[in-house]
Amino acid sequence: MPTLVRKTLGEYRRALIGWTVGLCAFLGMYISIYASMMKDPDTFTKQAIAKYPGALRDLMGGLSDIATGTGYLQAIAYQLLGPLLFTMCAVILGNRALAGPEEAKTLELTLTLPLDRRRLLLERWTALALGLLGVALVTLVVAAGASSAAGMGVPFGRILAAHTGLFLLVLFFGTLVLCVGAAFGRKQVALAVAGVWGVAGYIVETMGRSVDALSWLRWLTPVHYYLDGRPLYQGWPYGDYLVLLGATAVLLMTALLAFERRDVGV
Amino acid sequence: MTAVVETEGLTKFYGTRRGLEDLTLDIRPGEVFGYLGPNGAGKTTTIRLLLDVIRPTSGRATVFGASTRDPRVRARIGYLPGELALEGGERARDYLRFLAGVRGGVSRGRIDDLAERLDADLSVRMGRLSKGNKQKVGLIQAFMHEPELLILDEPTSGLDPLVQQEFLAMVREARTAGRTILMSSHVLAEVEHVADRVGIVRAGRLVAVEDIAALRERAVRHVELHFDAPVPREDFEGLPGVRDVTVQGASLRCTIDGRPDALVKAAARHTVVHLVSAEPDLEEIFLTYYSEEEARHAHAGA
Ligand SMILES: Nc1ncnc2c1ncn2[C@@H]1O[C@H](COP(=O)(O)OP(=O)(O)OP(=O)(O)O)[C@@H](O)[C@H]1O
Ligand SMILES: [Mg+2]
Repeated sequence: MPTLVRKTLGEYRRALIGWTVGLCAFLGMYISIYASMMKDPDTFTKQAIAKYPGALRDLMGGLSDIATGTGYLQAIAYQLLGPLLFTMCAVILGNRALAGPEEAKTLELTLTLPLDRRRLLLERWTALALGLLGVALVTLVVAAGASSAAGMGVPFGRILAAHTGLFLLVLFFGTLVLCVGAAFGRKQVALAVAGVWGVAGYIVETMGRSVDALSWLRWLTPVHYYLDGRPLYQGWPYGDYLVLLGATAVLLMTALLAFERRDVGV
Repeated sequence: MTAVVETEGLTKFYGTRRGLEDLTLDIRPGEVFGYLGPNGAGKTTTIRLLLDVIRPTSGRATVFGASTRDPRVRARIGYLPGELALEGGERARDYLRFLAGVRGGVSRGRIDDLAERLDADLSVRMGRLSKGNKQKVGLIQAFMHEPELLILDEPTSGLDPLVQQEFLAMVREARTAGRTILMSSHVLAEVEHVADRVGIVRAGRLVAVEDIAALRERAVRHVELHFDAPVPREDFEGLPGVRDVTVQGASLRCTIDGRPDALVKAAARHTVVHLVSAEPDLEEIFLTYYSEEEARHAHAGA
């Protein structure tokens, strides 16, 4: 493994462990209460769900089938909270790739090593991607294990498809933050861009689909390509995932070009 | 003899703020070059341009005859940043090993030798190092791969006097081994004992480049002469290069610029019983540069 990838993973180690434990605890806990909630079917009757305001239901992805295993798993793990938490992890790690060290002035010495800037950025990104992949794999095992233990009856293939989308989504946001950081060298700017794009994108995708004036905007949000294919219900949305992957590649290229011509640390 | 560092019209503006303007400078192989100037003069700007951390607004710079953009150039440079930041829970030794690893390896003994010479404790976590100890780690990483060119931005800042001496010894050894050194400082006193030449930069412009030996020759010297009998002041007035003459009975004090020849010849007409000549004060002549420039700027501004 290239030295800088190893070194960066070393820097990420504690954060990676922390986020993995946190995400696993979250998934394990919420998935395992599925069984007990099913014992009291009143919680999730159509009438009970109908009491929620429509907008809130939209925001949570509809909730119409939350009494089924697939619907529950989607609402809990893959609709809002799961992606939100995992994206936060990706954003924080993404900022630690370049913008953080640049603000802390520790990047200067790394930059004066006999590596070209492209290689520096690519190795940092590789470490970020590997770190996120590690978190994704461990959380996949926990999600799949807990849901089968809770008797949800969701096939593993579907969970794998949804989890792959989750990984691609967080990789997109991690790369976005790295890219903005590479271009501007400021953590706050990168956070703001990722925050606005992520939150606005989610709202447009979930609540805006019924508003004609907004619906075209859905095509511009990564959340659309994550949610729209409903992998937990319909299996692999290859096209959507390719879009996410392609967008990530474009961001990475942009990052390389921007970082190449930057004054660092000014 | 091709220059190790060569700049031509090198200019850097940060937006509209001037960092460095029109620097043309050669640093020759095997020399120790002291790069002097007050705060905000442009020393760090110059050095960051040479290391390709920032890019020039105009002009060009080459190191070892190659563009500073070429990463292979940096393999031959040891660099100590002026604003060295080391943080995190990593131990200093592990960080040094990482840097050495990227540079293609450094013998383990080398790092330990340098640590011992500078009295640095490498088992401490970097975030907990004191300022001076951070500086030591910075020096170790600059010297460890025995680079052909050392670029050191304010290397002595934060070091105690003993360690400063050790550092100067390391610089002398590097020069003896044929390496080239560019080091910046605020004061001449810090570099005058190791530097062959000094460049003085002020408000983004190179004001002067001087040979230390020539500077010594031109340096201001305070001289005291004692005679066996009172001497007339007139005998010593108007001598070339002699200033501030005061006579008190049989003793005379004055300041000489450059050669003491005229003074010695005038004194020879009397009987000299005692002569005291202080070590030439390079700082004084150095400060003269500063104040002359200051006056010129004030003039231009008025
Ligand atoms: N990032 C920056 N943005 C704007 N101006 C800058 C920046 N860095 C340096 N400058 C300006 O460029 C000029 C030269 O700064 P530089 O840091 O090169 O000085 P220096 O000689 O290293 O000073 P010091 O002895 O204080 O380290 C100063 O006027 C400074 O204000
Ligand atoms: Mg400086």
